[in-house]
Amino acid sequence: MPTRQGRHQPLNMKLFLYFSQVIGLDIMDAQGQWIGRLHDIAMNPYADIYPKASDLIIRRGSSSKEYARVNWEDIVYIENNIRLKIMGDRLKFSKEIPRSDFTLRRDIFDQQVVDIDDQRVVRVNDIHLLRVENQLYAAHVDVGLRGIFRRLGWTGMVDLIVFLINSKSPYLTNEELIPWKATQVLPKLGRMKSVLKLEVAKNKLGSIPPAALADIIQGLDIFVRVSMFKSMESALQNKVFTDMTLTCKAELVEQLSEAESANLITNIPADEATDLLMKLPREKAHHLMGLLGSETNKKLRKLLGYAKDSAGGLMTTEYLYLKADATVADAFNKIRENINFPGTIFFFYIVDDDHKYLGTTSLRRFFNENPQTLLIDICYPENIHVYTDDSVEQVALLLERYKSSSIPVLNHQDILQGIITIDDVMEELISLVWHKYKEKL
Amino acid sequence: MSFWEKAKKNKVLKNTLFFLAMLGPGVITGSVDNDAGGITTYSVAAATYGYPILWTLLPSFIVLLVVQEMNMRMGACTGKGLADLIRENFGVKVTFWIFLGLLVADIGNTATEFAGVAGSMNIFGISKYISVPVTAGAVWILVTKGNYKISERIFLMFSVALLSYIVSALAAKPDWHQVGLAFIHPQIQYDKDYLIMVLGIVGTTIAPWMQFYMQSAVIEKGTTMEDYKLALADVVIGCVATVAVAIFIMVACAATLHVNNITINEAKDAALALKPFAGALASAVFAFGLFVASIFSATILPLATAFYICEAFGFNAGIDKRVEEAPQFYTLFAAILIIACVIILIPNAPLIAITLWTQDINAMLLPVVLISMQLMVNNPEIMGEHVNNKFQNAVGWSTTVILITLTLLLMVLPAFDLFKAH
Repeated sequence: MPTRQGRHQPLNMKLFLYFSQVIGLDIMDAQGQWIGRLHDIAMNPYADIYPKASDLIIRRGSSSKEYARVNWEDIVYIENNIRLKIMGDRLKFSKEIPRSDFTLRRDIFDQQVVDIDDQRVVRVNDIHLLRVENQLYAAHVDVGLRGIFRRLGWTGMVDLIVFLINSKSPYLTNEELIPWKATQVLPKLGRMKSVLKLEVAKNKLGSIPPAALADIIQGLDIFVRVSMFKSMESALQNKVFTDMTLTCKAELVEQLSEAESANLITNIPADEATDLLMKLPREKAHHLMGLLGSETNKKLRKLLGYAKDSAGGLMTTEYLYLKADATVADAFNKIRENINFPGTIFFFYIVDDDHKYLGTTSLRRFFNENPQTLLIDICYPENIHVYTDDSVEQVALLLERYKSSSIPVLNHQDILQGIITIDDVMEELISLVWHKYKEKL
Repeated sequence: MSFWEKAKKNKVLKNTLFFLAMLGPGVITGSVDNDAGGITTYSVAAATYGYPILWTLLPSFIVLLVVQEMNMRMGACTGKGLADLIRENFGVKVTFWIFLGLLVADIGNTATEFAGVAGSMNIFGISKYISVPVTAGAVWILVTKGNYKISERIFLMFSVALLSYIVSALAAKPDWHQVGLAFIHPQIQYDKDYLIMVLGIVGTTIAPWMQFYMQSAVIEKGTTMEDYKLALADVVIGCVATVAVAIFIMVACAATLHVNNITINEAKDAALALKPFAGALASAVFAFGLFVASIFSATILPLATAFYICEAFGFNAGIDKRVEEAPQFYTLFAAILIIACVIILIPNAPLIAITLWTQDINAMLLPVVLISMQLMVNNPEIMGEHVNNKFQNAVGWSTTVILITLTLLLMVLPAFDLFKAH
């Protein structure tokens, strides 16, 4: 890659250019008359794999600046200045910068972007442009130290100093370039929520695991976080939202509309939704409850009644249950119907007509059984369960003793209330352990 | 029913609790503002000119309020730090020079804080060769190993230390009639030394790094424009507290040192000189306040500086990161701390010259930072509907212009002095 040319090599000889080298170039009209300087380049993000330059934005004047737009087709060449095919008087200058969906200076240069490969947020120091037949494409973003020194105009000097100190320094050869296809542009909108223009970088986020994506999003400024979150598809939104910390969820809900929040709460596991509602201000929580579907509402109301660190507070009401006369065939049908069920589909809880708990069985136990066998006959021999007011430590102890990954929760009339899975317990224990660890410090 | 549940039921109590939860950025920034440099300036000024110079705290208060409100509004509106905004809107070059200046000035400022540590511990008979390295070590451990709970306790200790100045001021048995008179009928002298002192007081109240710190703190708190009124109250309380503490420091010095014609050069001199007039307790309490203020600022300053620089240039930063994850951040933090310590430990180090140089760099940075802020706070692309209104702009720009004029004067006046001497 020809990245270390001298400054004075004519720009038209280069396959790659840096945006910092073209910005501010003089612009001449068809007769060689100076008409302004290059202010920005508008890109068409849909043209190819790489966004392709579509317009120049020209700036003139110092105290009162004026801007004009020139179509890319009207350029003769880009060398040490930019020559146009048209006459200067055909350009319409105005005080407003011409609006474009996506421009390099406004949306990328000096801004933060997500590096999809390394899953981190980085700041863009320069943009690496590819030139093919007088067309410019944004090929990479430069996030390295070399980019900063290039911007300061110190490349030569710093190279020399580094070379004298250590001629094999990685600084001299390592460009920290991120390919465009691994770059996710962040919305730069601040409070102006209405101007969402994120199609530019659509769906690159899909390749990041939701948990990592949740981490990235939590590291962003709140308003960027909101816009980025809104740009995701709803299935991805649900997954990412589930993986966020409680504080982050609450902050996000404060910024989203009530309908959006209610939708999220309906689609995440009920126990996560309860934790979130308990974290929100009381009035907000009540309001949101009113917007939820009656099913969800009923589930959440039940959970909200229990202390947070009790089995009742920990449990989820999403579990699969069958009556005492159900067979193995019924269980398989139930799994098929609930393939997208947010809770576990591996355990079945057998109850009587009053929802009184009778036993637990699992896919592992009935997978090879005769379809006509009654589930009640192949339940686990030990009848392990906890009561809603049992502590989280008790739940953990039982799960460990019976090497089980879930446990039913009953009230004192032995009516099945919900189940606790091991991940819920882990979460609670981790935060307990963490508090104790912090106390010690 | 627990206390918290009861509290939630009671509307007045609920609002009060909510308000206390919103307190923070303004109050903390205000407290860090009364650091070793501030205490020195206030004591020297009051010892030299007595009660009448108290009026200068009034314009200081207004300037502090205006600038901090803008920072709060920018933070709440954009969710971005000042360093981020400057980088995104003015590019690499402007950012680089601002942060180079900020780095140098903050090394100087940190050195001043360690001078405060050395001076106050000296009063308790501890040599600076012990107190300074031990303090620096403690700061390093606090930052790399500490957590929020410990920081909070230390902050509480700091607030108590600020109260100690009230004790010193009361022990000095000041003439409250004269204190009041100083604000109602300001008597202004028109000689050069007096003017430099006035500029020094206003200048120490508003340092460039504070704007960066304030805005980051607002974001950390998660303040948005919906919380504007409460956040504004926080800023006002912070400014009032800052100036109130300054008043007590100045009253303590004016009532004892000025009345008895004792002039001083350093804050620790004030603590020493208080002893015969206000008693050993007042003296020890004054020294203790100086010590805690110094150590607090010596923690916040290097940390904050390293943080803004990394923020602006896109390096990983934050004390929740490990050293391998954020090498630039920890290198910067350690470098600032070590250089500042070494400066103080060099025998016969030109401390006064370092203080003056630091003040000059601060003075040069302030206009740049303030103008950047004014430009951004008026840019609808950044602030949306929350750009300055006419009134805010009038106050904002006149504050900026007055401060720039004052700081230019501060830099030019010593030059005239040299001129006359030759």
